[in-house]
Amino acid sequence: MKTVIETKNLVRKFGEAQTQVTALSNVSTHIEEGEFTAIIGPSGSGKTTLLQLIGGLDEPDSGDVFLSGTNIANMSGKQLSDFRRDHIGFIFQSYNLIPVLSAEENIEYIMLLQGVDEKDRKTRVQEMLALVGLEGLGDRRPSQLSGGQQQRVAVARAMASKPDIILADEPTANLDSTTGIALLDMMRELNAQMNMTFVFSTHDQKIMDRADRLIHLEDGVIQLDEICSS
Amino acid sequence: MTALSMAGGYILFVFSMSLLEGSWSNVVDIFTLDHTGHIQVHKDDYAKRPKIHKTIENPTVVETTLKNHEDVTGWAPRVYSSALAYGGNKTSIAQIFGIDPEREPTVTRILQKVSAGKYFSAQPNADGYFPAMIGRGLANSLKLDVGGEIVLISSGADGSIANDIFIITAIIGNTTSFDRLGVFLPLTVAQEFLSIGGEVHEFALLARDKHDNEQLAAELQSLMPSLKVSPWQQIEATFYRTMQSDKQGNYFTMALIVFIVFIGVLNTVLMSVLERTKEFGVLKSIGCRPSELVKLIFIETVMLASISITVGLALILPVIAWFTEVGIKLDISVDMGGVVFDTMKGDLSAYVVFMPMGFMLLTAALISLPPGLRAARIQPRVALGGH
Repeated sequence: MKTVIETKNLVRKFGEAQTQVTALSNVSTHIEEGEFTAIIGPSGSGKTTLLQLIGGLDEPDSGDVFLSGTNIANMSGKQLSDFRRDHIGFIFQSYNLIPVLSAEENIEYIMLLQGVDEKDRKTRVQEMLALVGLEGLGDRRPSQLSGGQQQRVAVARAMASKPDIILADEPTANLDSTTGIALLDMMRELNAQMNMTFVFSTHDQKIMDRADRLIHLEDGVIQLDEICSS
Repeated sequence: MTALSMAGGYILFVFSMSLLEGSWSNVVDIFTLDHTGHIQVHKDDYAKRPKIHKTIENPTVVETTLKNHEDVTGWAPRVYSSALAYGGNKTSIAQIFGIDPEREPTVTRILQKVSAGKYFSAQPNADGYFPAMIGRGLANSLKLDVGGEIVLISSGADGSIANDIFIITAIIGNTTSFDRLGVFLPLTVAQEFLSIGGEVHEFALLARDKHDNEQLAAELQSLMPSLKVSPWQQIEATFYRTMQSDKQGNYFTMALIVFIVFIGVLNTVLMSVLERTKEFGVLKSIGCRPSELVKLIFIETVMLASISITVGLALILPVIAWFTEVGIKLDISVDMGGVVFDTMKGDLSAYVVFMPMGFMLLTAALISLPPGLRAARIQPRVALGGH
């Protein structure tokens, strides 16, 4: 299997002097293509920080992040933006859809950034809406959708650009149990169908139950890295 | 509120511009239609250093050129000299204006300036005396009135002594008119009196569009290379410079008003960027380049300005159209050298509408840069609520 994510001795600290907190301490790991991985641990263990470093949303104090063999630490702001646009999809805990855009426009926007022509964009938007079970709701604004529906739009947006990796930060935290399970099953299915790599940060047991692999973080250190039998 | 303040700024700017341009246009009309015309034609440097012998030797060529040019709506030949004037036992210096009685009213408002008596013709009276119209200042100092006799003594172009008696048919203007010490004689009479044959010192003319007079002057200059063709801006250079200085001062004030309006807009856009930090963080995290965020803020601000300007234009256009056509009646009328103006009018032109528009769009584009750069510097981690 091909390694799509590799971290080497990642260190990330926040704050100054006496108030300094080490969020990650020498974290090294690698994730293979098509894996459905969950980074788990208690609050403040460094899950989100690790996910943000992998996604290029933050810079490590030391160490390297390789995505599909490319070290993103050496990239300029513009290169990193382009890399995120073309290779990484993000799903956030609070959905983070653009409130003034409709569901269709939220999904379409990233393809607009990629320079995809209008006809292909429109087709792909409809495909994505169908994939996440939101046909007919594309013209609704986020405020007109339920939490579960908004998170489905966020999944569709993350997948619209055909990324290599999808990073999801506690995607079910704001959803009720039934909606969360439905969403996870949908993502698991997409993972199986498209061989897309999913990495979650979570402490949701439902995600852990469905993951191929669990990376246990505590106080910024990987305590356990286990392969799960499905 | 932001759009409203921008629309208000635009309305204020256009209205002030209209008022300024309208006022100056009125003053220029008073100035040019009183005597100067839009363009003048002379021999050599007559306009700067007038001498009786610096005459246009072949006026018919000039007349033909002016008559055949479609952008010349009126023209009048003139001769000038100074003289000593006598009325009874009183004397005064006087300025002789030799004018064509029929052509002069096609260029100036001389008919409106007749304050007493009748506008003259070139014909002598029954006793063989030719008519003259004199300025109010001269009439007062010589204690003369319509029907009186005025004696002029001057020197002819050939060095001879010129002297004659003229019968006053009209009093022109008032004591503040530029021609208050003038003696208007029919052109042919003045030419004979000054011994300059059929030659003239000057042609004054009006352009079809007064705003294009400099272009027309250049065109006429190429048609009459042996003569000097000057727009009024050169003839009355001091006045023109004063007008330009005043306009620039007013433009600066207007620009200051717009700048203050846009300081408010800048604050609003900056606040909006602050409120949308999370949104911009999301956009950056999904791959929006920093430059694309600058572009986004730029487009949003310029679009807001465009909408505001469109609304402002729709509101102010009928007002300045009315102001230009009808104007505001002044409580106290103003006598400008014998011509009475009692209405303040605006100006409606492409310049009045589009100059403020261009300035505001440019300002909007500039003020979008600091918020745009701020948005571009947003760190996704911080914007999305990280450490």
